[in-house]
Amino acid sequence: MKMMNGNEAVARGAFEAGVKVASGFPGTPSTEVMDYTQQRYPEIYCEWSTNEKVGLEVAIGASFAGYRSLAVMKTVGLHVAADALGGAAGSQINGGLVLVVGDDVGRIAGDDYNDVRHYGNMFNIPVLEPSDSQEAKDLMIRAFEISEEYSTPVILKITSVICKTTSAVAIDDNITYKVNCRQKYKVSFSKVIMTTMMMNAKGSEHPKLTKCFNDFPAHMRQLAADSNDFDINKLELNGKKIGVITAGTPYFYTKEVLPDASILKLGMVMPLPEKLIRQLAEHVEKLYVIEDGHDIMEKNIKDLGVKVIGKELFPKFPDMMRFTPDIIEEKLVPDAPKRTLMEGIPFRLPVSCAGCSHLFISQILRNHKIKAAADVTCGLIGCFPHMESYSLQKCMGSSIALAHGYNVATDHKEKFVGMIGDGGFWATGINGLMNLIFNDSQSTTIIVDNSCLAMTGGQHVASSEFGFNYKPENKLEIAKVCEAIGVKDIVTVDAYEFENLEKAILNAVKSETNSVVIVQKPCVTKFKLPKGDAYSIDQELCTQCRKCINIGCLAIESKKGTDGKVEIVINEDLCVGCGLCSTACKFDAINS
Amino acid sequence: MQDTGKNIIIAGVGGQGILLFSNLLSKYYMKLGYELKISDVIGLGQRGGGVESHFRYSTKPVLSPFIKAGDVDYLLSFEQTETLRYLHCLKEDGIVFSSTFELTTSSVNTRLEKDMPESKTELIKQSGKKTFIIDPEENKSPDFDISKMMNIVMLAIYAEFRGYSHEEMMQIVRESVPEKFVAGNLKAYEKGISIARAELTDI
Repeated sequence: MKMMNGNEAVARGAFEAGVKVASGFPGTPSTEVMDYTQQRYPEIYCEWSTNEKVGLEVAIGASFAGYRSLAVMKTVGLHVAADALGGAAGSQINGGLVLVVGDDVGRIAGDDYNDVRHYGNMFNIPVLEPSDSQEAKDLMIRAFEISEEYSTPVILKITSVICKTTSAVAIDDNITYKVNCRQKYKVSFSKVIMTTMMMNAKGSEHPKLTKCFNDFPAHMRQLAADSNDFDINKLELNGKKIGVITAGTPYFYTKEVLPDASILKLGMVMPLPEKLIRQLAEHVEKLYVIEDGHDIMEKNIKDLGVKVIGKELFPKFPDMMRFTPDIIEEKLVPDAPKRTLMEGIPFRLPVSCAGCSHLFISQILRNHKIKAAADVTCGLIGCFPHMESYSLQKCMGSSIALAHGYNVATDHKEKFVGMIGDGGFWATGINGLMNLIFNDSQSTTIIVDNSCLAMTGGQHVASSEFGFNYKPENKLEIAKVCEAIGVKDIVTVDAYEFENLEKAILNAVKSETNSVVIVQKPCVTKFKLPKGDAYSIDQELCTQCRKCINIGCLAIESKKGTDGKVEIVINEDLCVGCGLCSTACKFDAINS
Repeated sequence: MQDTGKNIIIAGVGGQGILLFSNLLSKYYMKLGYELKISDVIGLGQRGGGVESHFRYSTKPVLSPFIKAGDVDYLLSFEQTETLRYLHCLKEDGIVFSSTFELTTSSVNTRLEKDMPESKTELIKQSGKKTFIIDPEENKSPDFDISKMMNIVMLAIYAEFRGYSHEEMMQIVRESVPEKFVAGNLKAYEKGISIARAELTDI
């Protein structure tokens, strides 16, 4: 037995399944699936692709070549890749194709809550969901078997709870890597093409056409029928009072709080095993559905005509983010004691790491009241109310096009700036830049080049100087690409050269043409940059105006001294000596 | 009577070594043959957020990865604002081990909200639970940096309280931390033993 978290277990499953190609894009909570696969199983080709759509397309191509392939992403990333999934769903699969998708249930990592199972309904493809690390490994292997047997992509849904929970996994150290290759179809067109040919074309019975056809509804019906006998769907008939249909970690919450309940625990949440559901419904007086996230199993079960209690009792998103044992106890255990959190405990807003280049940019935008959009980047912390540097922030890669839209609507009279990280730029932001050039827009873009995807823990991007498949000659230069796209005015500046950076941003905003400011400074946390001398605050000179605190630096805090008096202090363990706070102080109280 | 298992919440803020703490403790319980589930709910820990780890060991398979409020045997906390957040989760006879270290929340720093007027240490002491308070300022040592190694100090205190083998625990520390940090960590561990031996009689 080995202790593994869910991400480690999925990576192990990929190894045991003989996966040849793993691609995808980082995103909490599932980033580490790829990190572990790359570190531990060098036999598997791994790549962080430029975005999730590209990642999934790579996996689809590898699958067509006959090899087992996996694409990893978080659910918001699958929104980006959904078009690719739609093309693969319903078409013939050669090598098994599995999407490992991380659902941030409970918004533990901070997403709005999306539920990947919607894609199972929308594209008519199976979804598997583990409830602990052992199952994460086992279902990974099973997902490939189902993919090949029923000729369909399969989604393995993992959640922030599964990803971050460590439990024992049975590991056979004698298992060696054996690449799994399978050749079946010479062609595989998207179901749109096949069904068009089958339904509309005269002579569609021609063998050259029929070999393209994939009767995917029949495969799904067969899978649904077979799933009644799958050992990953477990019917535990106990007491007759309460029955629960559940999946994932809510299975364990249910077992703990309702030890006498009869339970149907689904390892495959889509399609549903109808016979088992009816068997449980007949066995119990009351049948509940306990599922994290949206009411997806519940609706599908109600569609079968089976009476179940779900959101009538357990309000779903957005009223409830995720199940906990406490919620089940409160609703289903009479006289359960009520326990409440102490009132008035202050909450913790996220702040940036000390010395982060984003702090410099946020500070300049705020000082000069420049209107700007942030992206999905560490810099989005600048949107929070203690900083208020940005007034707009949406999805990954969006800020450039958001700013362009604002500027064309306001006839370019206000210069709205788009700030984007290097990760967001390569992911989809580059499309926004190309778009504004050929549409003759005069927007300003700030690209923060910190040499990695900092927010998810420092994975490499196209302009990094490291990476799984890194070669110096293949490194993409942001400035060169901007130039080739046709940006007229490009300036590159070091984030810590405050006056130069300020000048560069102000010039870019004033510029009559489109402009890009590339702000360079490697991520302080990922690259552990050498620290300068720590700064400190002279309490005699400090007026407690808190301009330094509003920078949003982790190292600056207000503290009650031993005499009970509040002081603004710099934590010298955290301070990296970047000096930004000293530029904010009007009273010359901050010095190194 | 044999210990059939306990539920522990380990709390603090990013950078305090909570994950290392739960990792070291898990190795000890694995050696004893217990079943384990450890849920590390990280949040935005690296950026000044709260961190909590739900640590469960048992002679029977552990079910829920999260400990239900009211089922916590021990709360081990490295930051006292975070201690307050979990007090209601303790069993009637649950025990609190808390550092008096405090990292002012960003919301208070920026005056988005007011801090609690009461002393947090007093609130913990008055919680009606058995409490063991450790003040890092009083226990500073030239041999190691207690602001970075409170996790190891706490590990020693917990081991002493539970009557576990310090020899084995120190061996786990030796095997688990990078070589250049071993000496400092062992000094911290020894400090934890001496704090515990001097003051644990209060519990």
